[in-house]
Amino acid sequence: MRRFKGKLFVGLSYISALIVVLSLFGIIGTIGYNAIPYMTLDFLLTPESEVPGFGGGIANAIAGTILLAIFSPAIAAPMAIGTAIYLKKYARDSFLVRSVSFLLDVLSGTPSIVLGMFGLVFLALYMRYFTGGMSLLSATIALAILVLPVIERATENALDSVPAELEEASYAMGATKWETITKITVPCALSGILTGILLSTGRAAEESAVVILTASYSQFFPDLRVLPNKDLIFGLEIYPFQERIGALPITVYHGFEFPHLVSPSESYAASFTLILIVMLINLGTRLLLRRRKIG
Amino acid sequence: MELTNNKKRVIFTKFGFIFFLVCMILTGIIIIYFLGFIFYKAYPAVASQGLINFITGSQWNYGENIYGIRVFIVDTTLLTLLTLVLSVPVSIFTAIFLSEFASKKLVSVVRPMIELLVGIPSVVYGIFGIFILENLFQNQVNPLIDSYLGFIPIFHDSNPSCGDGLLLASTVLAVMVLPTIISISEDSMRAVPYEYREASFSLGANSWETVRHVVLPAASKGILSAVILGMMRAMGETMAVVMLIGNVNVIPGSIFGYGYPMTSKILNDVGFYMSEPDKLSALFGIAAALFTAEILSVALARKLGAKK
Repeated sequence: MRRFKGKLFVGLSYISALIVVLSLFGIIGTIGYNAIPYMTLDFLLTPESEVPGFGGGIANAIAGTILLAIFSPAIAAPMAIGTAIYLKKYARDSFLVRSVSFLLDVLSGTPSIVLGMFGLVFLALYMRYFTGGMSLLSATIALAILVLPVIERATENALDSVPAELEEASYAMGATKWETITKITVPCALSGILTGILLSTGRAAEESAVVILTASYSQFFPDLRVLPNKDLIFGLEIYPFQERIGALPITVYHGFEFPHLVSPSESYAASFTLILIVMLINLGTRLLLRRRKIG
Repeated sequence: MELTNNKKRVIFTKFGFIFFLVCMILTGIIIIYFLGFIFYKAYPAVASQGLINFITGSQWNYGENIYGIRVFIVDTTLLTLLTLVLSVPVSIFTAIFLSEFASKKLVSVVRPMIELLVGIPSVVYGIFGIFILENLFQNQVNPLIDSYLGFIPIFHDSNPSCGDGLLLASTVLAVMVLPTIISISEDSMRAVPYEYREASFSLGANSWETVRHVVLPAASKGILSAVILGMMRAMGETMAVVMLIGNVNVIPGSIFGYGYPMTSKILNDVGFYMSEPDKLSALFGIAAALFTAEILSVALARKLGAKK
C-alpha cells in the first residue's frame, strides 16, 4: 500500500509536468500552425494604411511595439536603478525604506487595467496638453511605471550578488562611496542589471490592457516630423511621440473586437509575431545570464 | 592641486548620495500619486452611494446613477477560485517534480519551457481561448462534464450552444498563472535543506512520504505565498478574461455560466464614459476595490515571506 501510494503520487507529479509542457506546445503549436501560412514578408512589412480596407499589414504595429519596448524601459531604468542603489547601499532599515519597498511590491502586483485607467484618465485626458492625448508618449509613460518594479527588483538582486570583499577592498584603497559604487559595484552588477532591463522590454512588448487604453491605434507607420498644432505645448506636435500609435497587442485584439472585419488568421499572425519578438528578447536575456555564470 | 581634487571627490560623493535619494523619493512619489489618484477619483461615487451600498448593491445603472458592485466582486471571486482549483494541484505537483524527482538534465529542459509560458502575452491567450478552445469546449468538454455531473446544479450546462463562460476563462487563466506558482513554490522547496530529506530517508520513508511529510510542511509558507501571487495575477488579468467570460451582468449559476468580473467591466466601459465625471468615478470605484484586494494580498504575501 505504501509503495503503491508512493508510485501514484510520483506518477502524478510526472503527469502534471507533462500537462504543463503539452499546454505550452499546444498553444504555441496551434497559433504557429494557423499563423505561418499568413505570415508572408509582404504582410509583415506593409503598414495597414497602404492596404485597402481593414487589416492586411502589420508593419505599423510591429514598429509601434518596438518603439514602446525601447522607450519605456529607457525612461524607467535610471530611476529604478537609482532607487535600487539607494535602498541597497545607502539606506538603513528605516520606516521610509520599508514603505518604499512595500510600495514597489504593490506596484509590481498592480492589475494592468488599473494602470491602464490611470494612463487613460491622467496621462491621456488631463495631461493631453503635453502628451497629445492617447499617444506614444502616454503609453510609454504608463508602461514605464509598469516596468519600474521589474528593473528595480532585478537591480537589487544583481547588487546583492556583488561580493562584499570587492567593495571593502575599494574602500580600503581610499575610494569614496561614489567611486566605489560607480567603478566597482555597478560594473560588477552590470549584466544582472541589463538582464532586468531586457526582461522589462519583453514585459512592455507583451502588455495589452495598458497599451489599448493609452496608445489607441494608428494604421500609419510612425514617422518623425514636427507640425504646428495649437492644442499642444509650444504649439507644436512632435510625431510620432504625441500621435496615436499602433501596437501588436492591439492588432491581435482587433480580431476579437471586429470579428466581421478582421479574419482570425490576421490575429494569429500578429500573435505569432508578438510571441516571436518576446521570445527573442527572453532568449537574449538567457544568453546574457549564461555568460555571467561563466565569466 | 591635491586639495581641489579631494574637494571634487567629496562633492561627487555628496552628489551621488543626493542623486540616489532623489531617485528613490521620486519612485515613492510616483507610486503614491498613482495610488492616491485611483482612490481620489473613486471617492465621489463611493461617497454618493455609501461604502456599504457600493460594495453590496447588485444594481449598476448609469442612467439612474445607482452603482453597486456585488455582482462584479462575486464574479471575480468565483473566477479566481475556479482558476486556483484548476491550477494549484497541477503547479504544485510540477514544482515537486522539478525540485525532487526530475534529473538535472530534465529540469534544464522543462524549466525554460515553463518560462516561455510567461512570455506569451495575455491577449494571445485570449485569442487562443476564443478561436480554438471555445469550439472544443462547446462540442467536447462541456457536454462531457454535463452528461456525467449534470445532476449537480453547478455542473449543469444550461446553454449548450456556447463554449465560453466561467470554465473556459478559468482554464485559460489557470495556464497563465501556472508559471508564477510553479517557479516560486519550486524555489521554496529547493530551499529546504538536503539533510531533512536524508533524515527522512534514513528513517525508512520513501520518496513520496519524504515530500509529503518533510518537504511540503517545511516549504508551506513559500508555497502559500506562491498561491497568493498566482491569485493576484488571476484577479487582475483583463484581456484574456474579457474575451472569454461572456460579459453578462449576472452571477453565474454553474461553471458554464456567463459572468462579468471587475476587470472586464472597467475595460469595456471606461472608453465610453471618459468625459462624464460621475460615471467615470464609479468605474474608478471598481478599480479601487480591486486595488484594495491586491494591496491586502501583497501585505499578506510579504508577511509570509518575512517570517520564513
